[in-house]
Amino acid sequence: MLARPRSRGVSEATVKMCSLLRGEEMCLAQLFLQSGSAYDCISELGELGLVEFRDLNPNVNSFQRKHVNEIKKCEEMERILGYLLREIKKADISLPDRDVNPVTPLPKHVITIMEQLQRLEVELGEVTRNKEKLQKNLLELTEYTHMLRITRSFVQRSAEREHLEAQYEEFPFLEKDAMMDYSSMQRLGAKLGFISGLIQRVKIEAFERMLWRVCKGYTILSYAEVEEYLEDPDTGEPMQSVVFLISYWGDQIGQKVKKICDCYHCHLYPYPSSNEERNDVVEGLRTRIQDLHTVLHRTEDYLKQVLIKASESVYTWVIQVKKMKAIYYILNQCSFDVTNKCLIAEVWCPVNDIPTLRRALEEGSRKSGATVPSFVNRLPTTDTPPTLIRTNKFTSGFQNIVDAYGVGTYREVNPAPFTIITFPFLFAVMFGDLGHGAIMFLSAAWMVLYENNRKLKNTRNEIWNTFFEGRYIILMMGLFSIYTGLIYNDCFSKSLNIFGSGWSVRAMFENNVWDSVISGNGVLTLDPNITGVFKGPYPLGIDPIWNLASNRLTFLNSYKMKMSVILGIIHMSFGVVLSTFNHLHFRKKYNLYLVFLPELLFMLCLFGYLVFMILYKWLFFTVKDSRHAPSILIQFINMFLMQSDTMQPLYPGQAGLQVFLLVIALLSVPVLLLGKPVYLYWLQNGSHRLGMYRGYERVRRNSEEELYLMRAHDMEEGSSLSDFSTSGEHNTEEFNFADEFLHQAIHTIEYCLGCVSNTASYLRLWALSLAHAQLSEVLWAMVMRIGLRMDTSLGVLFLVPVFGLFAVLTVSILLVMEGLSAFLHALRLHWVEFQNKFYSGTGVKFCPFSFSLLPSSFEHDGLL
Amino acid sequence: MAACQELSFNVDHGYLEGLVRGMKAGILTQADYHNLAQCDTLEDMKLHLQSTDYGKLLSSSEEDLTVSLVDSKLRENLVTEFSCLRSNALPPLSTFLDYITYGYMIDNVVMLITGALKQRDVAELLPRCHPLGGFDQMAAVGIARTPTELYSAILVDTPLAPFFQDAVSDSNLDEMEAEILRNKLYKAYLESFHSFCKNMGGATGEIMCPVLEFEADRRAFIITVNSFGTELSGADRSSLYPACGKLYPDGLRLLALAEDHEQVKAVADCYTDYKAIFEDPEPGSEFKSFEDRFFEQEVKLNILAFLQQFHFGVFYSYIKLKEQESRNIVWIAECVTQRQKSKIHNYIPIIQ
Repeated sequence: MLARPRSRGVSEATVKMCSLLRGEEMCLAQLFLQSGSAYDCISELGELGLVEFRDLNPNVNSFQRKHVNEIKKCEEMERILGYLLREIKKADISLPDRDVNPVTPLPKHVITIMEQLQRLEVELGEVTRNKEKLQKNLLELTEYTHMLRITRSFVQRSAEREHLEAQYEEFPFLEKDAMMDYSSMQRLGAKLGFISGLIQRVKIEAFERMLWRVCKGYTILSYAEVEEYLEDPDTGEPMQSVVFLISYWGDQIGQKVKKICDCYHCHLYPYPSSNEERNDVVEGLRTRIQDLHTVLHRTEDYLKQVLIKASESVYTWVIQVKKMKAIYYILNQCSFDVTNKCLIAEVWCPVNDIPTLRRALEEGSRKSGATVPSFVNRLPTTDTPPTLIRTNKFTSGFQNIVDAYGVGTYREVNPAPFTIITFPFLFAVMFGDLGHGAIMFLSAAWMVLYENNRKLKNTRNEIWNTFFEGRYIILMMGLFSIYTGLIYNDCFSKSLNIFGSGWSVRAMFENNVWDSVISGNGVLTLDPNITGVFKGPYPLGIDPIWNLASNRLTFLNSYKMKMSVILGIIHMSFGVVLSTFNHLHFRKKYNLYLVFLPELLFMLCLFGYLVFMILYKWLFFTVKDSRHAPSILIQFINMFLMQSDTMQPLYPGQAGLQVFLLVIALLSVPVLLLGKPVYLYWLQNGSHRLGMYRGYERVRRNSEEELYLMRAHDMEEGSSLSDFSTSGEHNTEEFNFADEFLHQAIHTIEYCLGCVSNTASYLRLWALSLAHAQLSEVLWAMVMRIGLRMDTSLGVLFLVPVFGLFAVLTVSILLVMEGLSAFLHALRLHWVEFQNKFYSGTGVKFCPFSFSLLPSSFEHDGLL
Repeated sequence: MAACQELSFNVDHGYLEGLVRGMKAGILTQADYHNLAQCDTLEDMKLHLQSTDYGKLLSSSEEDLTVSLVDSKLRENLVTEFSCLRSNALPPLSTFLDYITYGYMIDNVVMLITGALKQRDVAELLPRCHPLGGFDQMAAVGIARTPTELYSAILVDTPLAPFFQDAVSDSNLDEMEAEILRNKLYKAYLESFHSFCKNMGGATGEIMCPVLEFEADRRAFIITVNSFGTELSGADRSSLYPACGKLYPDGLRLLALAEDHEQVKAVADCYTDYKAIFEDPEPGSEFKSFEDRFFEQEVKLNILAFLQQFHFGVFYSYIKLKEQESRNIVWIAECVTQRQKSKIHNYIPIIQ
């Protein structure tokens, strides 16, 4: 679509209103950025978030673009920052306040940041490496002490046992030998050796088995668990270890044992050969451990200081690097003009924002001190611009509902402003209960009042965020539910008798109607035909006396069913009417006569007439002749069968009118089916000969001429526009009658069948409202009434838990679950039944280049 | 039973199958390879790989990029993915996944033995083992002097133990013996895997049997071709051929008799699947070794596995495809660093 020049007389208010109804008017603009000031200009634009950049080098690989080195540098900095953040988090240092917005650093300042970061990284790396080394050292020493302590107990234990069972021992214990002297071993002719160390608890069994298999029993293994959990030096996780002691004969076996120990990642420590040596080693270890502890503490303190210093500026750096990376990313999308020494960028920009854009560019040029200013040039284009609909915190929720179905085509009628009212209303028709509505309204009002509370705003809970984002929708839904609750006269399934019922039982007695039946009948009928029984309608909504009536459901069903059909047909007709705005705006006036009119006639002649009959029956049949009122269903069926003679008519002249309406409705179908394709065909083949241009086509033709002129102008200036401008190519649409006819046929079938099925679909209003009312009544009858029936003083105590149960069930089932289901059904009624009448939703959303849209939390960008 | 398998497959294995199919979608496409082949430095490759599923895999390290670093990172990635699958797997899928690792275990054992024969340090050898085939007793392999000792002392606890049935001998382990051991183990492994898949039946059997048969035949061909000029006799050879392939039994008998390349080709000509592999390259097309052609054929077979649902073949195929992809990337990286642009296109494309 072409951007139409707007007349000067249009007031600001109309523009604003139009932008909500149709979305902002967009234009394609060219930015000529002086290469010196381009960085500042784009940074300025990023702060404002005005424009969406188009990629002018789509064919260039990401590593062949111009600023790839700068981006690499940014990534390097991000990597260091990620490392810093991880270290800071590990040290449990809280990050400073996140509400600062540092300016983008100039390219020349980047080097200093880079240097600072690299210095920090080196320093941090050294300190952590040192710390790790110390920790490992400490761990080894601790393991060694454990080993010495435990192996001593092996030796002592065996010595004791030997003492007790000396007479049964055939072989002296090896450990005992070790305790004695080595000369005894040398007597055996082989050298006795010891290997001792620690092994993971889980591996000891496999270790023992392999040891036995490989060494054929030439070894003796004794082991015991360490009570404490020691840290694994590699992973840092605490784990259980076992101290073992292997005694073996001979060097060859010793080699094998060592290999097996290696293979099971045992930590081996030298085994002291005598008791004195053992004591010395233990003594030495104790002092060394103490020394290590002090050194380790100092290192940790120093590390903490470095990290605290880093944490003060780390957030600023993260933001700055992110901004810088974004700017270079945009600069990569610009094309470079060698002769003019300037960068050329193409942007989509709202027409109203062009002055702001100009100002931003001036500001950017001023900041960088460029002599030649950067400037904007509007480009004519035939490409479809992206859709921008400005929203505020109230409308954004409703706009999101519409966008979830599909982003509007550029300058199409936006259903969101109507959705603001219809959506909560249709929801409330299904959810109608004064009490539930009030609870919903109050909870939403609480969220709205505290919406600036940072704790509520920044939570991670996704479910909570969903509700919080939709707080205004919930507020409106609650408000409308209160209204429909009043109309249904339902408050937690009970009726409120505010104005006094219009029905009187007294009159029945006074007229002595009941005397004959009162003794034998449980159900008493109030007859409105007797004077004084029915004094006139209740001022607001349903009369509270229906709450007591046994035929309440029958009455309400008939009422709600008819009401939902009426609401549905009004809603759909409104959708059809909205399509006229699209036809007029897109200069397709023929659609008005060939599509809109037959559609509306079809709908109103059939279903509009149904609404008329419902209203007529409500208004013109009084209490007296209500027995003779004909069934609307049968009437409506007979209308299609054209058999009016068998039935009593609703009103005089009904038969003729019905035939007339039916014929009109049937006639509008072929018009809808054939009108548009035939007209377009005629326009294509006949109009050239007649030499006249019509509507839309003329506009296109004009724009082509304009485009041609513009391009010729640019050529003269010497700038090679066509090289980088993707807007240059313009393909004329081929008119294909078969295609057009097929589309229209599908549309016709869909619309005519849709009228029937969509009308039926609105009956969900009745069904869900019935379900809601019945559920709340069941809840009252099954829970609350049991509590209220107890008439002793104990009942008061009993009522407390009963009310608790009632409240919990009310909120969880009736409010949350029923609310969600009603929400879904309202959503469906809007997306399908309402929007398919006029909304195509095939647009692309405008996503401006804005720093505020960069992910703000550290976690999202993979830094942590 | 076969119908029931499909009905209840998703109860136990649906999540993992979905996962592996999702991961398969991340395999590099022809366009990716095209872009990678244009790179001038490893940094460029890193930048391009960032836009694929590998993401920040290569950029997270501070050291300078080298080909071996790329290789180890890719392998690490594969192992992470595999261990994720393995730790979520329920039997019989867990057994199936274990079977995949046994092949790597055999390779590791043989590598450690040959390393020990060359008096290399175990600590130096261990990092070179494939992490998929790692097991606790691995480092102790070097202790063994004969295959019997290897089996009875070290590997009897490992899942490799059943494959030792034919491989137990008392001859000293030398390089030749180690190679024979590898092939014997592999033969037993492939036959066992094949019968496992066959017993699984259903789609798993249908998909996996051809893949394993192909693997068996490939080994038979390669053993034959590699044995020319060594002292390995035909009879010795025939005891190494896995007996579960399409070549079994006639083809294998012919292969055992073959004495030069021409005769091998004559055997391959009898089988349509292998005929193309041994055919002389057409004039004009670039030369490809028959190993490469075997790889190509393997990739084709593995891609086929993804056409069916409710079977385990996708897991095997995914691992194999990913391995091929790593080989491709490393090849390209190798060519990029050595400035051998002319050979850069010799990788084996996976998804056209």
